[in-house]
This record gives sequence, C-alpha cells and structure tokens, in this order.
Amino acid sequence: MNVIPLTVIGGFLGAGKTTLVNQLLHTATRRYGVLVNDFGAIAIDAALIAARDGDTIALTNGCVCCGMSGDLGDGLLRLAARQPEIDHVIVEASGVSDPWRVAELALVEPGFSLEPIVVVADAAALESQLRDRWVADTVRGQLLTAEVIVLNKADRAEFLQGARAAIRTIRPDAKLIQTQHGIISDWVLRFAVSPRSWFHADAAPEHAFPTWHFVPAGPFDRDRLRALLSTLPASILRVKGFCTLGPEAAPHLLQFASGQWALSPVTAMAPGLVVIGTPAMPDGTELAARFGDAEVPRSAVNLP
Amino acid sequence: MPAEPPLAATRIFQTGRIVTMNPSLPIATHVAVRDCRILGIGGPELVDAFGPAILDDRFTGNVIVPGFVEGHGHAADGLMWRNPYAGYFPRTAPGGSHHAGFRSIAEMIARLRQIEAAMTDPDRPLVAWGFDPIYFDGPRLTVTDLDAISTRRMIVVAHVSGHILNVNSVVLERAGFSADSNLQGLVRDAAGQLTGELQGPAVMGRANRITGEAGLSRELDVAALRDFAALTRRVGVTTSTDLANPLPDETVAALQSATAEKDFPLRLVPALRAREFTVPDGIARIKALQRLNTERLHFGIAKLVVDGSIQGFTARLRWPGYHNGAPNGLWYIAPAELGSIIEAYHRAGIQLHIHTNGDEASELATEMIGRAVSAYPRLDHRHTLQHCQMADEAIFRRMHAFGMCVNLFANHIYYWGEQHRALTVGPSRAQRMNACGTALKVGVPLAIHSDTPVTPVDPLFTMWCAVNRVTARDRVLGPHERVTPEQALHAVTLGPAYTLHLDHLIGSIDVGKFADFAVLDRDPLAIEPMQIRDIKVRATVSGGRVFDSA
Repeated sequence: MNVIPLTVIGGFLGAGKTTLVNQLLHTATRRYGVLVNDFGAIAIDAALIAARDGDTIALTNGCVCCGMSGDLGDGLLRLAARQPEIDHVIVEASGVSDPWRVAELALVEPGFSLEPIVVVADAAALESQLRDRWVADTVRGQLLTAEVIVLNKADRAEFLQGARAAIRTIRPDAKLIQTQHGIISDWVLRFAVSPRSWFHADAAPEHAFPTWHFVPAGPFDRDRLRALLSTLPASILRVKGFCTLGPEAAPHLLQFASGQWALSPVTAMAPGLVVIGTPAMPDGTELAARFGDAEVPRSAVNLP
Repeated sequence: MPAEPPLAATRIFQTGRIVTMNPSLPIATHVAVRDCRILGIGGPELVDAFGPAILDDRFTGNVIVPGFVEGHGHAADGLMWRNPYAGYFPRTAPGGSHHAGFRSIAEMIARLRQIEAAMTDPDRPLVAWGFDPIYFDGPRLTVTDLDAISTRRMIVVAHVSGHILNVNSVVLERAGFSADSNLQGLVRDAAGQLTGELQGPAVMGRANRITGEAGLSRELDVAALRDFAALTRRVGVTTSTDLANPLPDETVAALQSATAEKDFPLRLVPALRAREFTVPDGIARIKALQRLNTERLHFGIAKLVVDGSIQGFTARLRWPGYHNGAPNGLWYIAPAELGSIIEAYHRAGIQLHIHTNGDEASELATEMIGRAVSAYPRLDHRHTLQHCQMADEAIFRRMHAFGMCVNLFANHIYYWGEQHRALTVGPSRAQRMNACGTALKVGVPLAIHSDTPVTPVDPLFTMWCAVNRVTARDRVLGPHERVTPEQALHAVTLGPAYTLHLDHLIGSIDVGKFADFAVLDRDPLAIEPMQIRDIKVRATVSGGRVFDSA
C-alpha cells in the first residue's frame, strides 16, 4: 500500500505562502506535487519548466505544480495518480480557509499520510490582523490548527517580538520557525520519519518532534482501541501505521490526528505504529502500557 | 447571431385586465405586439390604432402581468431532474409531472425502491436529491432504510440544505467508512454504529468521488437549458439569471445554441463566476462575452461569493453570532482581497452581483463597494447584494447611499424560517430576515428570488412569501417587514430587471419593450394575499410567442 505524505501550508492572505512554495519548488530535493491556490502567482524560472499543460507545470527537477480548480479531493487524487510517482504532496490552502479543512482530506482519502500542518504568519502584519474586526477570528483560527508556525518577514525587527508574543499566547506548544522571504528547509514539511520507511527514522532533523515506535504483539480490540484513541492527550499529534483489529486480526491502516482517526482495511501488512507528538508527549513506558492495554487478550486471538 | 423569425403581423391581445407596472398607464385591457415587441397598450381604442391587426382574445378572463424575472436562479436546475426528487415540498419536473413531495421516510423509500427496480445498469448509483427531513417527526433516515432499497447498488440521498448526504452500506464500504473510524461528519447512533449520514465537505466529498456525482458542478448542455426553460416557463418566468457559471467555451456554445432555438421561451442572463479567473482575465472574459449578447442571451455580470449559508452555519454573522452557539462562518474571499476585486471590476465598468448571507458579509461588501464608488465615482453601477438575508436598516441605508441594489431571498422565510428562529439566528433577528419592507422604506431597489434549485422557481410563491412572511409551520415571521402585493409584484418584474440593467427592455409592459408576459387566472393585486401562491399561470408569452402552461 503506497501512502503519500501530504503537507498543508496555510496562513492568511499576504503571509508569504506563494513565495514559500515558489522557493520550495526551485530548491526541491524530492518530487513535490504542489496544489496552489493562486496559479497565476506561481513564478517558475523558464529554465526549470519541463512542460506546461493548462494549469499544470512539470519541472525539470521532477516536481509538478497544479492550480486548484474544482474539487480539492479530485486534485489530490490526480496528483497521486501521476507517473512517475510524486514523493510528497503540498497543498497551499487559500488565505482565508481553515487549514484543517484541507488536512481532513488526508484522513478521509486513504492514500495520504498527514504531515505537519504549517501555517505561515506575516511578522509585520500579525498583530494588526489579530485586532482586525473582520479577520481576527480567521487568523487566530488558522494559528490554532498549526503544528508548525513559520513566522515570515522576521527581518522586520520592530514587529518581531510582538508577533512572537502573540503566537505564544495563542499557541504556546506549536513549533515556531522564523524566516525571511519564505525560505524554509524541506524538513519543515515533514515529521521526523518518512512514511515510506516508518521504522527507519531519517536522521533527526532540527525540529524533530518526539516519536515513538511500537510493534503491537497482536491485534487491537476494537472497543479498547477506540477508548485509547479518544482519550489520547493533545500532546500526541499523530498515530499512524499498520495494525490488525479484532479476534480475526483484520489488517488496517491507522491514521490519527487531532482527535479524529481513520482505520482503513488493507491487505496484509507487517504491523507497526509510530506515535508523533510535542515534547509534552507521554514517554515510551507509558505509551507502551496504554497501547498494550488496547490489544486483544492473547487467549481470544484466533491464530491463523 | 440568428434571431427568431420576426412575428411581423400586429397582434392585439385583449383581456379583462393587464397590470403593466408602467406608471403612465398602470392598468389596461389591450396590448398590441409586433416584431416581438410591445407596440401599444390601452383599451379598445387600440384595435384600430395600428392598421391591420389580429385581435387575439384567447386570454379573455385572464390577467396579464409582465413576464416574471428570476433575478437569482441557477440553470443547473435543468440538470437536477435527471435524478429522482426526494423532497418534502411539492415540485414540478420540466416535463410537467408533479411531485407531491414525501410526507414520511417510508413513503420516500417506497418510491426509491420502485425507481431502483426499474434501473437497468446495475453499476449506476441511485442519487436522489432535495431530501428535507426537518418537518418529519420520528427517527432520522438511516443506512438500514437505504439498504432496504438495495445492498448491491450505491444509494445516495442528498439533503436540500446541501450540507448532508445519506448513503447506504455499499457507499460506506466503498468509501472505506467504518464504525472503527472516528471522522468528523460520520454520524453514529447510540450503539456507535454508522447511520449513513455524512455531514460536511470532507466525508461528503469522498462519497461524491466514489459515486461520481458532483451535483451542481456538472456542466450545462442544451438539453439541460431546455429543461430549465420548461421549468421557468410553467411559472411565468420570461427572463432568468444563471448566477453563476464559470462559462467555459462549451457552456457558452450551449447557451448560444439553446437561446437561438425558435421555441426557446426564456431570456438568459448568465453571470461569470469571477473567482475562477484572475481579475484581468475575468474582466477580459466578460468583455469578450458581451460581444455575443443577443435579445435572448445577455452577458455582463460578474458574481462574487463572500460567505457561506446561514442554515449551513458558514455565513459570516456579526455579534452575537449564531443563536445555537455555532462558531462564526467562513470568508470565501479575504476582506482586503474582496476590496481590490470589487475596485477592479468597478473601474472596468462591470456590474457585480455579490453573494452575502450573513450580516457581517453584507456589511463588508457594502463597505468595500462604498470605498470603490467613492474613489472611482461611476453613476448607475447598480452593484447588487444577493441574498443579503440579515441586513438591518443601517446596512440598507449605506447600500442606498452607495447606489446599491438588493435581491432578497424571500423564499427562505417559508422554507427555513422555523430553523432560523430556533437555531441559526434566534427569534429576534429572524424577524428582520429578508427585510423587504425596510429595504423599500430606505429606498434600496429591491428584487426577490428563489435561488432555484435551492427552492423551487415560482415568482408568485416568492411574492406570497414577501407579502405574508409565513413559515412552513404557519407562523408569521417579521410582520413589520411585509410588503404590499404591488411592491412584491414589482420585486419579481421591474425590480430584478433593474438589478440586471435590463429594465429598459423587460420587467414592465411598455411600448418598445419585449412582449414578455405571464398570463394568470387571477389578479395578484386583487386576490386575498394568502391566496397569491394559488394563482395559476395559464400561459407565458415570450417575445410575442405564446407558450401554454399545460
């Protein structure tokens, strides 16, 4: 089962999302498939364009950039179906949308794995936006969904401390990265592990979220797993991987994010889960006890 | 562009009463028509006034009013009827078959079973639309009900609100939705099992991708436009908007082809869905389309959508927000961006029709239009807020000051008034929803609409709503906002014609205008107001050509 990592980049109009995406496309080391909200604003160096077809640009470095027209889910499926395969999908959410509305698609569509929700904020404008009669709740709502906040235009020193303080008030636990001109490293787009090799963690990037790997000894009990997942602390951002369910040990792909989870039936897979969280996440001993308790008691398993 | 063959002979319609909406001669008995246009209006003296003429008395005993103008409809209504209707309220299909509406879930299921049994392709999903359970007592529709129709075929029942789907177990399984998952919008029963009710765009989108049904997003073809015209003709509409459409070349070709047909009984005013284009491209597209305008097809309007819907809790409300405590809705365009888009279209001389449901959205759009018209004065722009359901007197005053028009969603009072009172805006603000009375008092040019297929197109019914303000539970909601039958008739004829910049051609019975009439069995201005919705449309006259309503 092929699962493509998906990163949502949100943030209010003018925060610098398009600049950031332009820059990622030019410096990509992986084959990004990018869905952008404002296709007209995408500026790709002519030398880097391999082909252009309507609102799709193929780059010589293997990346693809598409305009978001019609249904977002359709756009994601079209990207996932491309040959050669895309390594990583990036969706630039519209400047007024709730990034979680895009992220939800990665739970609903089984072929995607939800990477951090990145929200870009404009250091120079943030404080006034948070006071604006019309947009304050939108900007605040976007920050509330963020797992990584990119504070752009951080060279505007006169605004920087105020913007940082505002973010810390709203989201004390989110990763905060400062930058200028939308320049970020690729690793910002990923949790520390690659979904293609969930059990061989990449060299830990600078912003590594704590991760914990777990291979269940047997299938989970449906009710106990539900009870476990519905009481996980907010410090656990993701649970993902393969597991088996019930006495019949039916193989499933599990994706948990933000209190929601999808368990999609799959063909047989070696079980193994990764738990990703903030530094406040419970330690391995506690997690092992919690997840172990959700397994079907040994005596009830019908071994094949 | 080939026009219809001129109806060269002079024809004089003689009837008991003609309500003209023409201030110089408000009531007449005769109207003379030549070359698709109105040649004269008056009394028996007309018979000899224009040389040889055919005296046509087929409407003796009827009442002629100006052809109705639907200022906010969607031609996609013509596509809906390719799938079965599952609604509560009565509705008529393009072919004329009348659907009484289902009074219980059991009735609807029984009908869908018959339809399913007659389907030949086993892989084709059965997708019913217009389901409206809010007036049903008892349990909600469940996956068990829909599995009773079929456990082999995918079954989808779409709610009229647009925010909920009910599906059977085949769809749940193919979508990968199981009780093991915990996704927002997958509704469960007390035992934790999925009920088959899907709420919100994420899970609904997955189901739509599985079944291949995308509802309103399907493209119009000539057959759909003929069906739409069949629907509108039967209720006396002679001009309708299609508000809005991305207007790709294929759709434009279908519009041109359908409206060029001799027997096409409707003038169409499609608005461009401006957000599908960059601002310069959208402006260029409209200017290019305007060169294709004919007597029956009129381009020139750009549509913008600022917020969502009130019943879907996605409209932007001012304090105190939603009555049931739901969080405020969503901006579909950032406020600053809205300002720059409005300014660009305004400066390009293009008219804007702007969807605003919540009062915060109406306030914002008014503010932004105010800035544009103050910085770049342009007389007679007639920028129009569409729906504008919660505007109060202060917003209407500013709209008036900025030269704006409004098209209010009067049908909402009947179809969703009870829900607005109980859940969305509460008992006080529900009184001022679709405040036709205030809009007129303040002097904002007024139209009223159906938003078909959201509610059925039927201007007499829309008039009835604005005049009586009665909900589906027979409650009067906001009696002080009621308008007179004369004002309501204006708001479905000359009022919307004005908002479309077409009041010199349609909307009243006056010399030189198109001979577009609705022929009624009773006079809406003389009848007991609660009976306005019972008036029958006997015929529609479009460009002098008579179309019987049978």
